[in-house]
Amino acid sequence: MWSRYLLILLLFFVSGNFSYVSAESNVSSNELDSVMDGFDEDIVEQEVDGILDDFGDDAEQAVDADTKIATASSPWQLNGSLILSSSYNYAHNSPAPGETDHRGLSRLRGSLKLELKADIIDGWKGYLETKLSHDLIYQIQGRSDYSHEQLDSQESEAELGEAWVQGNLARSLDIKLGRQLVVWGKSDNLRVTDVLNPMDQRESGLVDIEDLRLPLAMARMDYYQGDWNLSGIAIQEIRFHKKAQLGSDFYTGSVTPIAENTPSHSSSNLEYAMALNGLFSGWDLSFYWARLFDDQPHQETKSSITAFEHGRIAMLGAAMNIALGNFLLKSEIAHFRGLEFTSTPNQKKRRTDLLLGVEYTGFDDTTWSLEVADRHLHSYESALATQSIKKDEWQTALRYTGEFMHARLKVTFLTLLFGTPDEGGGFARLQGDYEWMENIRLIGGVVAYHGGDKRPFTHIGDNDRLFLDVKYSF
Amino acid sequence: MKIMLSLFVILMIVLLPIQAADLTARQIMEHVDDRDDGDNGVSDMVMTLIDKNGNKRARKIRSYTKDKDEDKQRIMFFMMPADVKDTGFLTYDYDEYSKDDDQWLYLPALGKSKRIASSDKSGSFMGSDFNYSDMTSKNLDAYDFKILNEKAVRGAKTWVIEAIPKTKEEIGETGYSKSVLFVRQDNYMVVRAVHWVDEGGRIKYMDSPKIELIDGIWVATKRTMTTKKNKKKLHKTELNFYNVKFNQPIEQDVFSLRRLEKGL
Repeated sequence: MWSRYLLILLLFFVSGNFSYVSAESNVSSNELDSVMDGFDEDIVEQEVDGILDDFGDDAEQAVDADTKIATASSPWQLNGSLILSSSYNYAHNSPAPGETDHRGLSRLRGSLKLELKADIIDGWKGYLETKLSHDLIYQIQGRSDYSHEQLDSQESEAELGEAWVQGNLARSLDIKLGRQLVVWGKSDNLRVTDVLNPMDQRESGLVDIEDLRLPLAMARMDYYQGDWNLSGIAIQEIRFHKKAQLGSDFYTGSVTPIAENTPSHSSSNLEYAMALNGLFSGWDLSFYWARLFDDQPHQETKSSITAFEHGRIAMLGAAMNIALGNFLLKSEIAHFRGLEFTSTPNQKKRRTDLLLGVEYTGFDDTTWSLEVADRHLHSYESALATQSIKKDEWQTALRYTGEFMHARLKVTFLTLLFGTPDEGGGFARLQGDYEWMENIRLIGGVVAYHGGDKRPFTHIGDNDRLFLDVKYSF
Repeated sequence: MKIMLSLFVILMIVLLPIQAADLTARQIMEHVDDRDDGDNGVSDMVMTLIDKNGNKRARKIRSYTKDKDEDKQRIMFFMMPADVKDTGFLTYDYDEYSKDDDQWLYLPALGKSKRIASSDKSGSFMGSDFNYSDMTSKNLDAYDFKILNEKAVRGAKTWVIEAIPKTKEEIGETGYSKSVLFVRQDNYMVVRAVHWVDEGGRIKYMDSPKIELIDGIWVATKRTMTTKKNKKKLHKTELNFYNVKFNQPIEQDVFSLRRLEKGL
């Protein structure tokens, strides 16, 4: 008899136990059955015709950091983009008699960028980039309405971009020769230690970020040891910021342009730079030193001739990133010596720039970043105020980036302020970048400028623009 | 005696299957976690993003992986589409769950590597229906597991295991309030999964319709993730892997910023 009880008890336990599982489960059997219908049973082989061509079947070769990881089907690759770019000025007032009317459509530019990449021999590669552009707006609006300086600067351009050869001299030693970009620092929006390459400042806030930095001819060597990398750079090409020319609505200089002297390309005018970069788990640290010509010129009068000159400056700096959960903390510091200013002739001054920033990625597909920088000029004199130079110049940048529709649409908002909103000026840019179809993107938005006492915002407060680009990449 | 015999038979019937696979859900998931997923791997991936109207966008990515002790290092390069070509992504995925991954993104247009700080893995993996937590191993201690039942998936027996996050932090990090995993009993692969997305009333279906034994390692050479709401398909991602190889002579310094910036 006891055996029957035992049997019943056992069956009760077993059945009860399974019942318990069902009762406790957060996913009920009904719910599970319901969601099981969600799986596709009609799995078909993906349409991959042609899509695999670039992969090859060659991933077996030995690879290390010095050699090419994988063999593409050809050692030569030609890529590039074709861009039709337009902008529309909606905030200008009527121009004074004799001035250029910048209202309305202000850009209708076609650009072609070609990139040729070559795997020369094992561990060595080359890169050549050319850019061609022509802006039809000057013909449409009437070329005679524009200054020849502006036409020369912005109507047609043919420019050699990056052009370099890179390889490894030894297992831990790389060399890169030619026109190239070297980006220093941890900030994405403000420049503190990123001092090597000049910028295209002809249309502040409007220049595509890909075209913002201008390459320089230089020789760069990198030595790698453990977590550290030591980089030494000699810059042969003397080149400064591209600035808006007389007649442009971004021009902030005098009515009669003053000549600008560029130091000659000679061995005594070489620029030098060094960087020591450490990369660690959760944080990075970099130290920088550079001896350059100042991108910002000052006026000098020699033999009764006044011209803009670029003085020699030295920069010592450091930058650090710390990742804390979803926060990325950024800091940069740079100390400059040898700065010269028009309003304090025959004096060389020092400046210390400090940047603190934070980036937050805790919201899905979204990045917020805030950066604040103070540029503190030592031995400040009141005469500098005539150049709207302050003892402490504050800059603030706030950037939002969000991806929508499975990264088909990327929205970016960037606002950059000098001082307080009532002081130096700034701009806000809202941009949408939409993947319209394969290899074609639509990039559009608005840039609103805020006038102030900081150049160039002294003159461009009403330069607000709508812009729309169509970009085909190949 | 007859009753005793009956009792024995019933006991055998009831208990033997449990004894044969006498594993708790937690133990099964430990097997899943410990499963050999290969070392020194090379693969090419085509990621196809399919919207609800069937429109497709494709990305081609070449990736290299290497185990460094218990940690996993991965470097990936976009090969297509043209506007993101040569973009690189370097990840050090640490086995220690309290330690955040190190991640860097290289954008060739900017000529700069950028560190990415993100302990939150609920964000979309490159615009796909997969999120970053789908691409990395789970912290088993952060879940309560339970065997719901057994089902056959494409003829293979699986355990159906419920995974409930123990904390809101884990839900926040993965984006999933609960999951049901289908673990193959012969090789401990998760071949299907249903994830309840914490926000928006969406459910995501992961499926591995094609698995292959490559160099002795079971590999899902095709994976899909379909996002649905109220049983309507919102979006789907297909990952197809090609040229998958393991035990390749990949040196440690491939997984470095030096290589990330040099590109393929």
